[in-house]
Amino acid sequence: MNSLALAITITAGVLFILRLIRGPSLADRAISVDAFVSTLVIGVTIASARPDSGIIEGTVLVVALGGFVGTAILARFIERRGS
Amino acid sequence: MNALGEILMILGSCFALLAAIGIHRFPDVYSRMHAAAKSPTLGLVLVALGAGVRIWTLAATTTLVLVVVLQLLTAPVATNVTARAVHLTTRVPLDGDDELARDEAAGRSVGVPDPDED
Repeated sequence: MNSLALAITITAGVLFILRLIRGPSLADRAISVDAFVSTLVIGVTIASARPDSGIIEGTVLVVALGGFVGTAILARFIERRGS
Repeated sequence: MNALGEILMILGSCFALLAAIGIHRFPDVYSRMHAAAKSPTLGLVLVALGAGVRIWTLAATTTLVLVVVLQLLTAPVATNVTARAVHLTTRVPLDGDDELARDEAAGRSVGVPDPDED
């Protein structure tokens, strides 16, 4: 059953990457990267709940914080470059 | 207890899938941002709840609570920063006043509510 949740999350991640490739403007790409990192956090959390995966929960914390910093820097970049 | 955790995790991943569907079906940047910002946050809350119920040790639960609190604090900030960048750089049709431009033209510090607004 855990695999079902993981499969749904991976589908969502693939859809975000499709938007990242297609996205007409740079802003669309920034948004989809942000949402993809959120989905990544969800996926790592689900994976860490499996007893045999060996992923510790600290990983989730690092991914979440890295995602926030990345989004903030990307927004700065858009503001400076334009469009 | 185990089944409860599984159900919560599946519900949370469904919220991530909803965000992914929304980011493909909405017509412009702001509505896509609306889909992409809120629903993964709620999804993460549900998934972390499910994982905490499933693992059920003190260390793991503390870390997951920390993750949820940090995500609830940082997700609105990240979306706000991105929305500001989009607003300043792209021409999306507005359905009202451009309040950021109005406030910056008046020389007010942006984000502080105006005392004599109404």
